[in-house]
Amino acid sequence: MTQKVSQSLMPRNSRRREQVAVFSIAEYSFVISAASVQEIRSTDSLGGTVVEMDRPVLRKVRHIVERDARAYYVVSGYEHFHLPQSRPTTVLILRSAPVAVLVDRIEEMAEMRVLLALPQSFRGEERTWYRGLTVLDRKVLPVANPLGFLTAGDLQQLEEQNPGLLQSAAAQRVERGRG
Amino acid sequence: MNMETGSLVPSFVVFQVGRRRVALSREDVAELIASPLLFSFPHTTPLITGVVLRRGRIVPVLDLGPALLGAPSPPARFFLVVERRISNISERCAIPVQGECELVAGIMMPAAEQDDFVSGCLELNDEQIDVLDLEKAIAAGARAEAETITAGEALP
Repeated sequence: MTQKVSQSLMPRNSRRREQVAVFSIAEYSFVISAASVQEIRSTDSLGGTVVEMDRPVLRKVRHIVERDARAYYVVSGYEHFHLPQSRPTTVLILRSAPVAVLVDRIEEMAEMRVLLALPQSFRGEERTWYRGLTVLDRKVLPVANPLGFLTAGDLQQLEEQNPGLLQSAAAQRVERGRG
Repeated sequence: MNMETGSLVPSFVVFQVGRRRVALSREDVAELIASPLLFSFPHTTPLITGVVLRRGRIVPVLDLGPALLGAPSPPARFFLVVERRISNISERCAIPVQGECELVAGIMMPAAEQDDFVSGCLELNDEQIDVLDLEKAIAAGARAEAETITAGEALP
């Protein structure tokens, strides 16, 4: 979250650079700020800490994962972006929201030098999904908004239908750690 | 395509989407470009097939096929870059076009066409060319695409 959105490409040195992770879901690549990601894990290494939700209210959220005394809603990346079913092998645990995103794979870490505004012609959910667009290796890629995977409304809905679930999942994890 | 005319007679850019020849007011058109590399990513806005990079700016690509043909337009070698006004902000968009584009001067006549996105027509070599209201054509295309998707979802 280091730079203002721009309408056009500017001389590279006039802007702050941002470290990003490039990830893929289905046939598409996306960028996310490395600063917004707390941890990147293989889905295989999360087995024991995943809890299935009794009352899933959003199609894209069916599980909770516990990490370091915190619990996160697991968001299916392909369902979030309305893509065909894919094979997620990696989970991005976010820093700024109780969200862990399932993605197919991490392609690379890179340096983002420009963040371009999403054109006004885009009127749909993508305005929430993306902070803007960037250009990496001469390709235009969308920059994922870490707060767009679950909006405040989504989080409220999840909490209302599963009151205290996140907190209790995290608390159980702490208890287990003490035992 | 030469965009310079000194005449007071209004001028129009005639272009082809699929097999249908239509026109836009010259004021709506910025340039004609050879089809650049198209980048696509997930989104939910009807008609947008992706974006192109043009002089360091992101230009969305809008397919008018659903409005004009009832289906996506075929692959294009050229894009007509048009100027839109969205919420008082000017924005350039690229429309994939087939065949030749022409700059013509003429008087727009009332439209015989029933489509609400046709604002008038031009007579060009005994051919009637519909002049589009770009924003209405985009809205009509979005409706047509939404209906297609809804119908597709209703199929067993």
